[in-house]
Amino acid sequence: MKDTRNPPEIEIARLGKVFGTGAAAFRALSDIDLTIAQGEFFTLLGPSGCGKTTLLRVIAGFEQPSDGSLRINGQEVAGKGPNARPVNTVFQNYALFPHMSVAQNIGFGLKMLGRAKSEIDATVDEMLALVQMAHLADRKPAEISGGQQQRVALARALAPRPRVLLLDEPLSALDLKLRKGMQSELKRLQGETGITFVFVTHDQEEALTMSDRIAVMSDGRILQTGTPHEIYHAPRERFVADFIGDTNFLQVEVAEADGTAAQVTLPGGARHLARLPAGLRPGAGARVTVVIRPEQAQLVAPGQGVLAATVERSVFFGTDTHVHLVLDGGTPFVLRRQNSGALPEPAPGSTVGLTLAEGALQVVGD
Amino acid sequence: MAEPRESHRWKWLLCAPALTILVLAASGPLLIVLVYSFLTPGNMGGVVWQFSTDGWFRVFFRRDIFSPEDVSWNTAHLTIFWRSIWLSLQTTVICAVLGFPTAWFIATRPANTRTVWLFLITIPFWTNLLIRTFAIQELIRNSGTINTLLLWAGVIDAPIQMLFSEFAILIGMAYVFLPLMVLPLYAAMDKLDFRLVEAGYDLYASRLQVLRHVILPLVKPGFIAGSILVFIPSIGAYVTPRVLGGGRTMMLGNLIDLQFGQGRNWPLGAALAITLLVIVVAALLFYLRTLNREEGGRHG
Repeated sequence: MKDTRNPPEIEIARLGKVFGTGAAAFRALSDIDLTIAQGEFFTLLGPSGCGKTTLLRVIAGFEQPSDGSLRINGQEVAGKGPNARPVNTVFQNYALFPHMSVAQNIGFGLKMLGRAKSEIDATVDEMLALVQMAHLADRKPAEISGGQQQRVALARALAPRPRVLLLDEPLSALDLKLRKGMQSELKRLQGETGITFVFVTHDQEEALTMSDRIAVMSDGRILQTGTPHEIYHAPRERFVADFIGDTNFLQVEVAEADGTAAQVTLPGGARHLARLPAGLRPGAGARVTVVIRPEQAQLVAPGQGVLAATVERSVFFGTDTHVHLVLDGGTPFVLRRQNSGALPEPAPGSTVGLTLAEGALQVVGD
Repeated sequence: MAEPRESHRWKWLLCAPALTILVLAASGPLLIVLVYSFLTPGNMGGVVWQFSTDGWFRVFFRRDIFSPEDVSWNTAHLTIFWRSIWLSLQTTVICAVLGFPTAWFIATRPANTRTVWLFLITIPFWTNLLIRTFAIQELIRNSGTINTLLLWAGVIDAPIQMLFSEFAILIGMAYVFLPLMVLPLYAAMDKLDFRLVEAGYDLYASRLQVLRHVILPLVKPGFIAGSILVFIPSIGAYVTPRVLGGGRTMMLGNLIDLQFGQGRNWPLGAALAITLLVIVVAALLFYLRTLNREEGGRHG
């Protein structure tokens, strides 16, 4: 939240992108309205084909928007090429120049900007130190590992000191351990340079852990923009709730509603408070969908709690166990509980009761 | 221990057909040519089995008919050597300059139409070289298509003499050998990762800078292969200089033909053929060495 107070870096208004013409036309982006603040770590999150990479390429200048406006640091850049924008990209496959050494790759941008050789050398040394690659400066990209190539790609994009750094799924090719390392590395680099990062990923966990704010995209539209906390705990739409984290959906009936919350009737008759997303005002008696995160329900003795269920099976995950249940009425429900104590695993087929945490219910639009 | 040695022997046996062909088809004829170049010419062509270095002597020198002690450089031969090298170099450069945009055009088409363009490039190969060369003659001769059109349009008063000149040979060779440059260049561009081009633009390079710093270095193997494929047949070209250059503007291939035919001096022809081979190998070595040095320089 802190960063939204900074002046805007990127302002996108009613932006659209259509590929092809006539019958073969394909609308990749529709009505994108987005403001990204200076120094923000902003993530575009969505499944493949949702338009997040297209939006990134439009900001980079590889694609021109079909309509709408795009301003970077207050200047309209729609129509300008990528070499006329204060923006650099870290490509998904790194796109390092194979015929140049690591140092030459990093210095390329400054060389093209016509900077003096002494300045280029100094910046390259600084960047090599920043990504801890000084010992490999003379290697060719093919002679270093994937993780090292990733660092070089970062250093190359940072060297010209862009206002905005665009990252197109930069960690997707790395194995899990390297990816975790690079995640914190990226956060550190962003903190040290103060550059605005626009990060594209389909990995919701990556988005939640790294971002200041996230925009969830689907079918060329932005469904919701907010902090990771908002996106996780207050999804506005079913798609957002489903895409971020594990989710249980439940059909409930509204008993009474005011501006921000509603009393809903759960299957089985118990009443519970549910939060309402902005702009949604269901009347009493309306059927709505609520979201319950797996960690916000707890097992209690049969007959107690607000919901009744039958245990199907338990799946052990190390730190926690996922208990798969079927609610009375047939709705599947997954519950997560931490393996902190020596809790007995519920036997398959046994009946249990469920309690829900305060504020566990979030109404979503379909 | 016996088994590996056994299989080693079998390997050689398996290579035997290839080795036989190599010896019979490549080294054998070359050896015959080398031997012939040190023999004495027969009166009606052919050779007399008597050792002589006269063939080799005549490649570079000539004796005055009336005073055989008077030895001078054979300037006619040297002119032909130089013309062959110079025209082949020019052909290679022209093919590279024309071939690059052509290959780029094909490589940047959508994948499904690329095969069509490649197919169009190879169509000339379907027609006999001689026919194609005569077609060029038809275009550029004094009463040919180009001159007729220019005369009719009033651009010129008298036909331009294009046929039977080095210019005509150059046009003919560039036309004939252009596909040999386009195809390896296309192959190199086809492998080019166009995201590298985007990365170049992203890092503030202009179009020209992307061409110079990203595209050209990456398609260099295509240029090398194309240059070799164009230069080698150019320097030994026979049909094109014969048809378009006339009798006066000879190249090495024509000179060799002359010695084996009307000249009836097979040893001289054989010596010239070996000279051609030496020129080609020397040019190749020089070319590759220069490239390697350039590469080495960039490392340091």
